Amino acid sequence: MSSVTQIAPTPVAPVVTRPTRRRRVRKAAWNLLGVIVFLVMVFPVYWMIATAFKPGHDILSYTPQWIPTHPTLSNFHDATHMPFFWDAAKNSLIVVSIVVALSLVLAFLAALALAKFRFYGRRPFIVLILGVQMVPLAALIIPLYIMMSRLNDVKGVNHVLGVDKLGGVIAMYLTFVLPFAVWTLRGFLLGVPKELEESAMVDGTTRFGAFVRILLPLVGPGLVATSIFAFIQAWNEFIIAYVFLHTPQKQTLMVWLASFTTLRGTDWGPLMAGATLCSLPVIVFFLLVQRRIAFGLTAGAVKG
Amino acid sequence: MSRLAPEGAVASVAESEFTLASRRRRRFTRHRLGHIAAPYALLAPAAAVIGVILAYPMYQLVRMSFQKYGLFELIRHKGRWIGTANYASIFNDAEFWRVVLRTVAFTAVCVSLTMVAGTAIALLLLQVSRVVRIALTTGLVLVWSMPVIVAVDIWRWMVDYEFGVANWTLTKLHVGNFVRHDWFANPWTGFGVFTLLIVWGAIPFVAITVYAGLAQVPQELLEAAEIDGARPWAVFREVTLPLLKPIFVILTSLSIIWDFQVFQQIWVMLDARPTSDYYTMAIYAFHQSFQISEYGLGAAIAVVMVLFMFAATLVYLRQMLKAGEVH
Amino acid sequence: MKARYLVVALLAAMVAVAASAASGGTNRAQAGKIVVWLQNDAQNGWPEAVALANRNFKAQHPDVDVDVQYQSWGTHLTKFDAALAGGDAPDVIELGNSEMSKYMAAGAFKRLTQSPFPNNKTWLTGLKVSCQYNGKLYGVPYYAGARAVIYRKDQYAKAGIKSTPKSLSQFVADGKKLMKTYGKDSGYSAVYFPGKYWYAAMSFVYDYGGQIAVQKGGKWKGTLNSPQAIQALNQVKTVFKSLTRASRTTDEANPQQALVFAKGKVGSFIGNGWEWPYALDAKLGNPALAPVIGAYPMPSHIKGRFMPTFLGGSDLAIPVTTKNQSLAADWIKAFTGNAAESEIAKAGNIANTTKLLAYNASNPKLAPFARAAKYSWFVPTSPNWANVENGNVLQNMLVSIATGRASVKAAANSASKQITRILNTGA
Repeated sequence: MSSVTQIAPTPVAPVVTRPTRRRRVRKAAWNLLGVIVFLVMVFPVYWMIATAFKPGHDILSYTPQWIPTHPTLSNFHDATHMPFFWDAAKNSLIVVSIVVALSLVLAFLAALALAKFRFYGRRPFIVLILGVQMVPLAALIIPLYIMMSRLNDVKGVNHVLGVDKLGGVIAMYLTFVLPFAVWTLRGFLLGVPKELEESAMVDGTTRFGAFVRILLPLVGPGLVATSIFAFIQAWNEFIIAYVFLHTPQKQTLMVWLASFTTLRGTDWGPLMAGATLCSLPVIVFFLLVQRRIAFGLTAGAVKG
Repeated sequence: MSRLAPEGAVASVAESEFTLASRRRRRFTRHRLGHIAAPYALLAPAAAVIGVILAYPMYQLVRMSFQKYGLFELIRHKGRWIGTANYASIFNDAEFWRVVLRTVAFTAVCVSLTMVAGTAIALLLLQVSRVVRIALTTGLVLVWSMPVIVAVDIWRWMVDYEFGVANWTLTKLHVGNFVRHDWFANPWTGFGVFTLLIVWGAIPFVAITVYAGLAQVPQELLEAAEIDGARPWAVFREVTLPLLKPIFVILTSLSIIWDFQVFQQIWVMLDARPTSDYYTMAIYAFHQSFQISEYGLGAAIAVVMVLFMFAATLVYLRQMLKAGEVH
Repeated sequence: MKARYLVVALLAAMVAVAASAASGGTNRAQAGKIVVWLQNDAQNGWPEAVALANRNFKAQHPDVDVDVQYQSWGTHLTKFDAALAGGDAPDVIELGNSEMSKYMAAGAFKRLTQSPFPNNKTWLTGLKVSCQYNGKLYGVPYYAGARAVIYRKDQYAKAGIKSTPKSLSQFVADGKKLMKTYGKDSGYSAVYFPGKYWYAAMSFVYDYGGQIAVQKGGKWKGTLNSPQAIQALNQVKTVFKSLTRASRTTDEANPQQALVFAKGKVGSFIGNGWEWPYALDAKLGNPALAPVIGAYPMPSHIKGRFMPTFLGGSDLAIPVTTKNQSLAADWIKAFTGNAAESEIAKAGNIANTTKLLAYNASNPKLAPFARAAKYSWFVPTSPNWANVENGNVLQNMLVSIATGRASVKAAANSASKQITRILNTGA
């Protein structure tokens, strides 16, 4: 990508040379702590994945089976052969990609306005955007549904928005993701040291040029954090998708996952296999974008 | 609220301090109109999406809170106006105030733990070697990516009365006899489990965002401070914290907002039938709306919740608004 | 730099593709299609019955499609409420029989005439009651479930129990024998009976002549504190105290009691017909138990009689928002005819008509449940009943009794008061 990312990460590296032995011991201690934190945090995830590989009768057991002793792929087979799995996967990908792309673009623009301009209505907008997030979703379901079902009757709009339309769900997700995204990006923009912008100005670039060339890479980590957030929100949302999407072919993965639970109990193995499969795209997405966080962007910009 | 800045809306924050007269004059003449319109143009798309989708439902929600809106009214699409009766009945309900208190305390505990642990992990990420860092961030994202419904199921197993790993491990570690220990028999231990669950689920977001923010802090500043002989804690307090303040303010307020609305974790863990000891405001609102079918009451509770949250985040809100002005 | 353009182009392409995918779609229920909401139990348990009904319906209406959409229990009413508010509820909906009265009272369903529906003269009384409000019919019985005691023959034999108990006191005495034989294992339960299992606990109350609530002069009154009910609840407490080590704060579904039974540390539990095969399920349960598993109707406190069982089940109804009432009714007819109902019964349920009970009776694995179904009780038919269920009034009472947080009397008094209030005022 841009030249900025070439620079290797420089963690808070001590500049003054210290006794290397002591340094190494300290580093080892930090690493050990890091590994412990990793294990504690990841355990429930591990438990999900391990369960996905256990045959059904091994799942409930009085002494925990730390490692699947009879690993099997049958849960994955069962899960992927449930009706509508591929439809659901496709729908989820569509919803998520649009929500991520649109929310990043719209939020960046709005955050730019809020962080770098003073204008009439700025404060009310900030307050509004905060307030939007405070309304409990459960209370909005009925009013939202009433509106969406009316949109179904509006010519022109009803191709995209309305009940049982992916577009409607996407629009609703955007309203939940956007406030957060705007806010976070604004925070990152405010965090950009002034000197950088100023130097850009001195360089004689236009305002817009300065924004794009200097700010965009600088808020890179913010964009990444925001996109992960948007991705996960849209990917994991259940109740809106369940209530607003009727046709089975249009439902998303979370709705599909819920079908593992019936009155007769939950089919744990396939559920965990399904959930493991559902986590994969998130991980892939994260691995694709995480370099943007890990690399010292600002350092590069200052030097460049 | 905010007025147009004296020298006109044009001056950007950075620019206003950067007074090169000639430069400025040039810009005024060339871009004046464009600059006044610019922020609105930038804001318009996001505002349009939010406005189109949420304006009517919000209006409807507030209206419903002044209506008798049960199943009967729902089917006929017409509520009956009853003034402030819904609010009166909430405020006179002793149960409601217990729920409020419980929710506030629970939110406070969860938010503080999340912020401290999340920041600590973000700082830890700076200290560890590359491999550990990638493993840990991937781990955090794994946790984050777990669908809430699945995460709750997993936790329910881990603390299961009969088959739970938690009881088994605690017993083996000789912490005590936890064989067939029922964590939810006592609301205190029950909420202990929920606190762990929620903090565990919220840490990745905070840690990764703070870490992203830390990556933004210029190394030069940190190095300069270290050369000046500042101790790590002092560097953090004097350099990092002020720079990341906007991010912390956002994270804290968002955490307050989210934890205040905790619903699914408790709901699913307790089989969609939490006893009243476990009601939080969100559960109470959902219960009134969808289980009792008093949508008007539910709407009123939601409105009250929003007001409470505004009150709770007021300090942060002011900080946030100020943060924009400082420059 | 190139990479950046690539990303932008990719995103743009994604948006374009997705937008076109998102926009294409069919419109809402028009003539030519009816929408049916069934619970996903049918999807997994008796898909053949649904297919059969669709075929028969299609033969009758070749130009009308049936779109069956499966719902999940925890959330289906949220979706239904939203759809009612939006005016686009399905043409046919399945509701649990204890969920019906609230919606009937609010006018959510079309009124039906009974005569055109198959077997309407022989519908199970317990289900039919749940389809009626103020003497008018708003639903059609779909299927029912009755509970009986599912037990381990080998454990009974080893504990010296010669025949299945014929009275409640014998049931308790046998349980104590089991505890003596196997109870040294601190995880063993003679009867797996979790604290929130109110369907089973209320059967005790109805057996002793008690009731949850009675209606007098248009007013409801909670009666769990009547002497009969107290006597019954004391029996439940005995079971909690001396026969079970199940959790006092969970219900029968989490963990699934049949699967706990399959683990081997349970002598018996009170379960539905389908829980027998479920315990033996090759994937989840323990097929090795097949030769030693049996069932008998729960005995009454009066020797030789059965304890009434809760007749759980589902009904089918036609929401008022439909424009295809007669088509909807035709589909219900196809789905509740003998052919489809036999399929439903095969899956371990009780069909909606007494005519088909013979089918269940002839199958040794279903017979005990069919016998149990003859004596059943049902929740008070007040439109506010759902609020009692959702307010966890009964569960709270049972948990208090099981954990010893309150005496039977105190718990019953408090529950009765709440029930009286909720049934009369709704809140």
